[in-house]
Amino acid sequence: MTASDVRDCDPGDGRLSTPSTTRPSAWSADVRRTTTALPPLAPDRGQAPPDWFEVVEHFREGLVVCDADGVVRHVSPVAERLLPEVTSGEPLSSAGVPGLSEDARGGFTHRGRRLTARRVPLSGARCCWYVEDVTDSVSRADALLAERARSAFLAVVGDKLGNPLHPDRAAAAVVRLAVPTLAEVAVLVLAPRAGRARWWRASRTDDDAPAVDSGVLVGGELPTAIADGLTGAEPHAVDWLVEQAVDAGWLPGLADTETVARVVPLPGRDAPVGVLLVARRATRWYDEDDVELVRAFAARAGAALTTALLYRDQAEVADTLQASLLPVEPVEAVGVQWGTAYRPAQAGLRIGGDFYGSHRLTDGGSVFFLGDVSGKGVEAAVFTGQLRQCLQALHRLESNPARLLRLLNDALLETTQAHGQGRFATIVLGVARPERDGGLTLTMAGGGHLPPLVLRASGEVETVPLRGMLIGVVSDPRVGEVTVRLAPGETCLLYSDGVTEARGGRRGDELFGPERLVTALTGCQRMPAPALAERVEQVTCDWLAQGDHDDIAVLALRAAGPGGRGGRHLHSVPAGIDRTEETDA
Amino acid sequence: MTAAMAAPDLGEAYSGYLDHLADADEYAATDLAIGLLDAGVAAERVLLDLVAPAQAEVGERWARNEWSVAQEHAATHISEQVVAAVSAHVKPRPTGGRVVVACMDGEWHALPPRLVAEVLRLRGWQVTFLGASVPAAHLVSYLHRYDAHAVALACALPMRLPYAHRMIEACRRSDVPVVVGGRGFGADGRWAGRLGVAWAPDAPSAAELIADERALRGAPPARLAHLADDEYPSLLRRRGELIDSALAELRERVPATREYTAAQLDATVSDLGHIVDFLAAAVYVDDASLFTEFVQWLSGILLSRGVPVGAIALPLEHYAGALRDFPRAARALALGSATLPGRPR
Repeated sequence: MTASDVRDCDPGDGRLSTPSTTRPSAWSADVRRTTTALPPLAPDRGQAPPDWFEVVEHFREGLVVCDADGVVRHVSPVAERLLPEVTSGEPLSSAGVPGLSEDARGGFTHRGRRLTARRVPLSGARCCWYVEDVTDSVSRADALLAERARSAFLAVVGDKLGNPLHPDRAAAAVVRLAVPTLAEVAVLVLAPRAGRARWWRASRTDDDAPAVDSGVLVGGELPTAIADGLTGAEPHAVDWLVEQAVDAGWLPGLADTETVARVVPLPGRDAPVGVLLVARRATRWYDEDDVELVRAFAARAGAALTTALLYRDQAEVADTLQASLLPVEPVEAVGVQWGTAYRPAQAGLRIGGDFYGSHRLTDGGSVFFLGDVSGKGVEAAVFTGQLRQCLQALHRLESNPARLLRLLNDALLETTQAHGQGRFATIVLGVARPERDGGLTLTMAGGGHLPPLVLRASGEVETVPLRGMLIGVVSDPRVGEVTVRLAPGETCLLYSDGVTEARGGRRGDELFGPERLVTALTGCQRMPAPALAERVEQVTCDWLAQGDHDDIAVLALRAAGPGGRGGRHLHSVPAGIDRTEETDA
Repeated sequence: MTAAMAAPDLGEAYSGYLDHLADADEYAATDLAIGLLDAGVAAERVLLDLVAPAQAEVGERWARNEWSVAQEHAATHISEQVVAAVSAHVKPRPTGGRVVVACMDGEWHALPPRLVAEVLRLRGWQVTFLGASVPAAHLVSYLHRYDAHAVALACALPMRLPYAHRMIEACRRSDVPVVVGGRGFGADGRWAGRLGVAWAPDAPSAAELIADERALRGAPPARLAHLADDEYPSLLRRRGELIDSALAELRERVPATREYTAAQLDATVSDLGHIVDFLAAAVYVDDASLFTEFVQWLSGILLSRGVPVGAIALPLEHYAGALRDFPRAARALALGSATLPGRPR
């Protein structure tokens, strides 16, 4: 389609554009349309010259011709109708039409019509005023602009409310967005829960940001129109509503005599999720288009609030379940300083397939464990929960790590076979017993997990030779067992494969590996256990460089030394050892 | 930290506190802090005029190679315990809304935001401290779950700014206003201005900003039109290739590097990567000074560890050659090379 095609297929009457540019083209288009649409009728065409005055009378523009002295010499019928005060033979200035002076620019309003006028000089110092009535096109352009503003407003609303929000945030955002486009004061009342209706209100202030406040209405305080709105009805006669709302102090800065208000329900899942009251000065009445806009806004606001409430309800359930599946921090124990780090693979979820924990034994020792179950995400987390509950019960019956691990294996086999899950786990399970000198004796059993590391006082890092088979697979697994003595200040570190199998490096595909872990820990013998666990997490995450990763779990046990009280208020390094180490270094 | 100058008693306590950190003596450090509280010193002063400057000094000692990473971690851990003890000792009644404080993803300097969190708590806010390196997804799901009045995000390293920006946007989409702090945004917060987010230079100003919702929401919009030139994503795509070729050239021109142990090689690769990351961040906020400041800092660190300037000059030169078609990155590299000691400015 070319430009001339467009011109031919009726661009309206071209009145949206300025007359000076469109008039000639519309004229020529008209001519062509006549010539192409109709065959030439009269063979004597072009014989008599047209009577130009007769032609000109039918212009949409009115003509006022003035002589050199500014006296009106001719007024076309259209001009007579638009400007009745302009009379032939009188000076144009005496008619007192504001738009008809040489310095006037653009349009003007005259007798309730929007007019434009342009002055064209003619021969003999005469001039002609072309006057056009553009009321319709201006109002059409205004309507178009208003429609554009409405679409832009709804686009912003959709953008701001499109993300799931906290319900209170969503409610505040709804009233904040309604001001000033829809209202000077906007009040949102949510459907009551247990007889209490929460409300949010935004009112226009001098600067850009509206002021937002909120509160609670109890039972019977709801005005009838609001209560009706909550049943889904949109009240029509709302004059008394304004009075009621003003009397109740709902509309600060607006007096009832000069205020208009509307109430629209916000659609919810079945019944409305709430009701929106919009109010502004009567100088801007809510016409049909405005009410349509308020309704469109209400639809989006209702969807956002419904999503937010749904999300909150589900998040509450998820949170409660997650909390029960999160690793529990080790319990304080004599002579042990614990350190932990935990970073699940899915950051939005706080749980995963790694687990750790400890239980206190009646003889003063502690059972501790760290492991990893097959699978990822929620299902894996649920399995860790079963496993931890098993251990919680079984450690009361058996405190020898290898025998405890076999019991755990039997219990897991039974549950997994019953559920047909085929799940298994790797685990290191140990018992720590404090010694008189402040050291610890660790007896550990291995269930196919990565062997623990020990940080010696010398700064060296040893790998504990601990082997064994996965648990939850066969009925009589081979379980490794080892005993390690920690001198005061020495640390044993258990970790999951999320550490050593972290992929990073130059290309993001190199495994972190056990050697790098040992390097990162070498020389860290003075670190308190929590700092050490965090260091492992940190070097792993630095290696990952924001890449995806498996669940990461770290459990560190440090022999707290003599007089160590365990837990938070612990000498991180016993004074005696510390001094000699410092001089060595 | 001017208040420390005005109070000699705290000055004395300060040197004692540093000694306790050096001795890794958690008891003594905690007792000293609690003793100050009992003597009537305001908790906020203990946090900001004792713990905070001591932590800055710890960082300096690491930078000067006087302290090992292990010592720095131990001292930081003790300061965290002291903050916890001070916080447990003073229990202000919460009067304000909820404020969430977190470190950006990948950011492990948790003590400064922890101090901000405690100062906010002392001023009556209900504070949730999410800790070090908080993934954006975790933060956002927290914000969906709990209605927060504001989020305070900390970033200590400018190379994290592009991630910081993503995180800020994620909070904004949850309609929660954000205030940021930390040296990662520049000493004067100029990169926060670039990203269009409110910035606070210290804990008291953060508290004032959070109390003023209008100021919090009134940050001027981000000025990131320069990102249209695609330099930043192209640089990221070429990261691995740049490091590889820089390493190859280093091995060719400095024979000693061929004998590096695995750990030394990792450290070199990590340094080469940091140079690219800081360069990318400088391109992201369109400010070469981000890169030149980093080059100065890195050369200081390496010099204190006996590494010659050439170890930085060479990769800078190499990157400049490889990135000839990246006008903004090339300019930052040229300015960076010029700031190295012994180079014409």
